Amino acid sequence: MIHGLGSVQPSDGTVVRQVLAGDVEQYRILVERYRSEFGRYAIASVGDGDAAQDAMQEAFIRAFDALATCREPERFGAWFFRILTNQCRNAVARRRDTVPVEDLNPPGSDRADQDLERGELGAALEAALDRLTPEQREAFVMKHVDGRSYEEMAELLGVGVDALKMRVHRARDAMRAMMGALR
Amino acid sequence: MIERDAFSADAHRYLDGEPFRELEGGEFAAADRLVAEAREYAERLPVLDPTLDEAVMAAVRRRAPVRRRGGLAWLLAPRTVRVRPVWVGALAAAAALVLWLAPRAPAPAVQGAVAVRPVADTVYVRFELAAPTARTVSVAGSFNGWQVGALVMARDSSGLWSATAALPVGEHRYEFVVDSTRWVPDPTAHAQVDDGFGGRNSVIVVGPKGLVRS
Repeated sequence: MIHGLGSVQPSDGTVVRQVLAGDVEQYRILVERYRSEFGRYAIASVGDGDAAQDAMQEAFIRAFDALATCREPERFGAWFFRILTNQCRNAVARRRDTVPVEDLNPPGSDRADQDLERGELGAALEAALDRLTPEQREAFVMKHVDGRSYEEMAELLGVGVDALKMRVHRARDAMRAMMGALR
Repeated sequence: MIERDAFSADAHRYLDGEPFRELEGGEFAAADRLVAEAREYAERLPVLDPTLDEAVMAAVRRRAPVRRRGGLAWLLAPRTVRVRPVWVGALAAAAALVLWLAPRAPAPAVQGAVAVRPVADTVYVRFELAAPTARTVSVAGSFNGWQVGALVMARDSSGLWSATAALPVGEHRYEFVVDSTRWVPDPTAHAQVDDGFGGRNSVIVVGPKGLVRS
């Protein structure tokens, strides 16, 4: 993966070792790198920009606190992603605790109707995403919103390719059914 | 779920970029529409505010220093700093401080092999001095009333002298006392201060979570 053009960026492993040696400011490199890398995933997974921002911030702080347990510093990204995934799931759970699922983006709701009236294709998809299970949503977002390969997803999630395919397939089927109902 | 709402296995293969045989009528369009909507959704997503970076950095600065070895291991693992004091000459001494956080209990016989739990007000500090020709070595400091012999160091077969003391949170000053007469500051200390008698005392700072400067 190339991080930045025109300048040599230190590897994750180098940065992690510098931070562990006491150079805390180097941690900013990882924050900038993975805020950019995983920001879209966080927003799409949580379904709310502010909640995703909070989840990402909390994930970085938790990662810092546990940095010494990152056994493969060169793979900090994958290690951090799992922390982020947990934070996103927590954020989704909090959303669902406070807003009934059927009220998040129901078919025929003002928001869904307005979006459809504006001709925004993605509006129906966003409404349907809210109704997937957390695992299905993560898998669908990684595959079709982030555009990752199954191998990348397996690396990041620590889940086998076959299991991830199953999640994505089920998510697609559910999305097709729900989006059909929205039209 | 209504059967017609689910994609066929071949449609999933198509969407996964894998070889497929044939698709039922309309499945190409349905599959392409799903991908197109996902792409548009992705394009509409906002980016996370870069101010997040500074918020994270402000939080982690308050938490520094970073635990080095994970879990409670950083509490167990001694941190050793070795130096060779230039004044010692024939002693060829090297001083070291080994620090860890532990409850008020006898010091462990084996470094890092004792179960510990954080105690806010006590940090065990292990002093070491390599002085093969010395007959006695002790540590005198503000934590033991500067009494020579209050903290006697033990010698091992290599000539390494060591002793452990439970120090309360705060700043402490100390010196090594060799053969009951020579007062020796620790040149590895982060600070040395005037002892008022023409010499220098070493300074160690013990934090509430074992954050120590020596």
